[in-house]
Amino acid sequence: MSIDPDSEELSLRERVSENPGPAMKWFAGALLLFALEAGAVVNFVTGLFGPGVELPTLLSRDVISNLGYQNPDTGVWQGTFMGLSPAYAWALRVLLIYTYAAVCAWWLWRGYLVFREHYRYADWTPRDDMIDRLRGHRWGQFGAVIVFAFVVMALFAPALGPTTVERTISNPYSYHVEFYNESGQLDNVTVGQANLGARSQGTPDQNVGPMEYDEFGRFHPFGTMPTGKDMFTFMAAGARISLFIGLVSIGVSGLIAVAFALLTAYYKGLIDLAVVIAGDSIMSLPRLLFVMLLTVVLGNHWIGEIYSGGFLLALIFAATGWPFLWRAVRGPAMQVAEQEWIDAAKSFGQRPSVTMRKHMAPYILGYLLVYASMSLGGIIIAVAHISFIPGVMIVLVVTAFNALGDGIRDAIDPQSETGEGEGAEVAAAGGGGA
Amino acid sequence: MSEQVQQESVSVATGETLVEVNELKTYYDEGAILDSNPVKAVDGVNFEIKRGETLGLVGESGCGKTTLGRTLIQLESATSGEVLFDGTDVTELSGAELKNWRRNSQMVFQDPESSLNDRMTVGEIIREPLDVHDWNDPKERRARVRELLDVVGLQPEHYYRYPHQFSGGQRQRIGIARALALEPEFVVLDEPVSALDVSVQAQILNLLEDLQDEFGLTYLFIAHDLSVVRHICDRVAVMYLGNVMELGATEEIFQDPKNPYTHSLLSAIPEPDPTSDKERITLRGTPPSPRDPPKGCPFTTRCPMKIRPEKYQNVDPDLWVAIEVFREVLRERSRAEKTLTEQAKELLGMETRFSDIGEIRRELFGDLDVPREVEAHLDRAAEHVKNNEDAEARKVLRDEFGSICDAENPANHVVSDSGRISHCHRHLPEYTEPDEFTPYTER
Repeated sequence: MSIDPDSEELSLRERVSENPGPAMKWFAGALLLFALEAGAVVNFVTGLFGPGVELPTLLSRDVISNLGYQNPDTGVWQGTFMGLSPAYAWALRVLLIYTYAAVCAWWLWRGYLVFREHYRYADWTPRDDMIDRLRGHRWGQFGAVIVFAFVVMALFAPALGPTTVERTISNPYSYHVEFYNESGQLDNVTVGQANLGARSQGTPDQNVGPMEYDEFGRFHPFGTMPTGKDMFTFMAAGARISLFIGLVSIGVSGLIAVAFALLTAYYKGLIDLAVVIAGDSIMSLPRLLFVMLLTVVLGNHWIGEIYSGGFLLALIFAATGWPFLWRAVRGPAMQVAEQEWIDAAKSFGQRPSVTMRKHMAPYILGYLLVYASMSLGGIIIAVAHISFIPGVMIVLVVTAFNALGDGIRDAIDPQSETGEGEGAEVAAAGGGGA
Repeated sequence: MSEQVQQESVSVATGETLVEVNELKTYYDEGAILDSNPVKAVDGVNFEIKRGETLGLVGESGCGKTTLGRTLIQLESATSGEVLFDGTDVTELSGAELKNWRRNSQMVFQDPESSLNDRMTVGEIIREPLDVHDWNDPKERRARVRELLDVVGLQPEHYYRYPHQFSGGQRQRIGIARALALEPEFVVLDEPVSALDVSVQAQILNLLEDLQDEFGLTYLFIAHDLSVVRHICDRVAVMYLGNVMELGATEEIFQDPKNPYTHSLLSAIPEPDPTSDKERITLRGTPPSPRDPPKGCPFTTRCPMKIRPEKYQNVDPDLWVAIEVFREVLRERSRAEKTLTEQAKELLGMETRFSDIGEIRRELFGDLDVPREVEAHLDRAAEHVKNNEDAEARKVLRDEFGSICDAENPANHVVSDSGRISHCHRHLPEYTEPDEFTPYTER
């Protein structure tokens, strides 16, 4: 616990300006990493309000293309990145994208370490314990890895697919594929026609399975759908929409639920009654019908324009879903409101808002994480009506979110020493000895 | 050791009044839509606390002592009456004034397991009051917390530990450090040692006494452990059912209790001497509901020295007890809630669980020799009960067997030279003093 009493009073900005070296190095690295993909960020943000602005980025399909045709005589690929086969070109792009994402994550972690080493006033704070607990939490780490992979897939969906949503789903008859036909001539059909020839019907003579090429020299990592469209492109695009709607709606309804739970538990009485009535009224409506109704009614509102209606859908899920989360955390909130430390806070005049945030919220956050990660699955399944991810992926993703939620919950609770079961907990408690 | 400490803490008292409580009432559940019958947790209390002294507040569970303590530091809002703190009525304060005043009065809570937020480090917990009141700058706050840790007998390194890493006694020390952070003048100690091991109790009590001497603190010490109270308090207030029954210097009260309730409470202290043949006064029944306290003296339903009407002075003690129990049964019956079915059955003249008055009488008076005169009154009461006129029945019994104890709330009589007060009709000149009176049951 050696704390330099002089340095502990400076603000972070002052501490950085005193010793700018490590911080500057880190920022330079971060800037470089961001510059590689800045175009994609601009594209996504502008894309929320209409057609996105196209800027060149390193990890795009234009730079590492997997579209091309194979000369049947020489076996050489033309049009693909460095003449690689589409499968390898695509795999290279996927590899680069995940490497880039991993480097970014690692750089953020390094940033925290730089802060801890050079700029934090204390060489130990409670957050270090949280991180240590997460480090020993294998189940949470499993969740974190899957969630990371899924989030990266959603973030880089346009670059990850072997083809684009525009080419294969939205306007298949406006784009062409070049290929050598049976008579050895370079031919050219629309994507729509090619798709009809690449349908998967489950019979050996009409099927394009995972990791296979179709007759037009197109590579399909997950095979094609019964309509002949590329499954992986569908999934990546669907993951993006599902995750966006799921996270926004869970985030918003979680905020509403926590705010109401804290307010009703702290003040009780009429506020509680009002929220109970409001929540029960919403819960009594048949949810799916109500969601569809709202989607239609609000469809022409300007909010409906954002992200092609995805944001609106997220808000609708949040507005109809918060009572379920609120129900789940109301009991724990009421329980923690009866603790004497709440009285203690009142007795020295702590503001109610701070009391709720500091003395009550941490105790219901654990419950919220568990319930929110479970509800997230429900929303992803509900959204799957309009987007698409195969069932196995939903199971994996929902399990992973649950695992991560478990890990975070255990990490923020100082009384759970590690996530590795009773034995380790007892040993750690014994070692902590006070 | 204890003698010496006691003398020291007495010498701190300067005689100047710090807290004055006048006709304080705290009711719960007021103004409900259907049933506005509040719980009268504190029901008209008067006392004052001198600067630097320790006032003990004793009584059995549910008598309102914790509510009184919480009202004094404005954790509960008073229904009526005033709490004067250095002459300012703090029940009227609000907003910034109230927040500012809160620096002066703090509380140490009963359960150290529940009074500390386990998600915060010890340092953060003790620092929080300083942060709330923007005390000096952050650096000085941290230094102050380390100093407080030292003052309550913990190590400065404990700043970054979590409460769950500490034992009950250590946790209570953290709670005390938090209460002292803002240098309050007045501290309410709400059974601060009752959740601790006996060996640790003594350490915490000694710490509290040392801190009082060091910082000139004024304590309200709430407890139900009488030996602890005798050890630490300068004066004691004995509470029963929201009322202060007796208040005076600790030793006086323990040596020579005046109020009947204090008598029975003190007789409950176990004697270490096995050959001692001290009489224990066992009280009949349980305290009445604070929603429906008796008219007259709060202790009237259980008092072993209750004043009898003149003509029943020599009635057989067993019979008198039976009469009192009979009255209590009727009182409880009228408090019990009747279901809709029972009300319907009553209207139709059918049997309900309330109508077996004959059985009650047989059970109470069956083996006793009941004089004709008494019998006549019991018959009249029973007749009313049969006709579902419980209030009438109770009135008949009260008029015949009741006394001043059932009719009037006693005044606070001054019963010693040191200004001790006692809340009992027996101090009126026409009745025998409680300490000279032998309870009927012991004759």
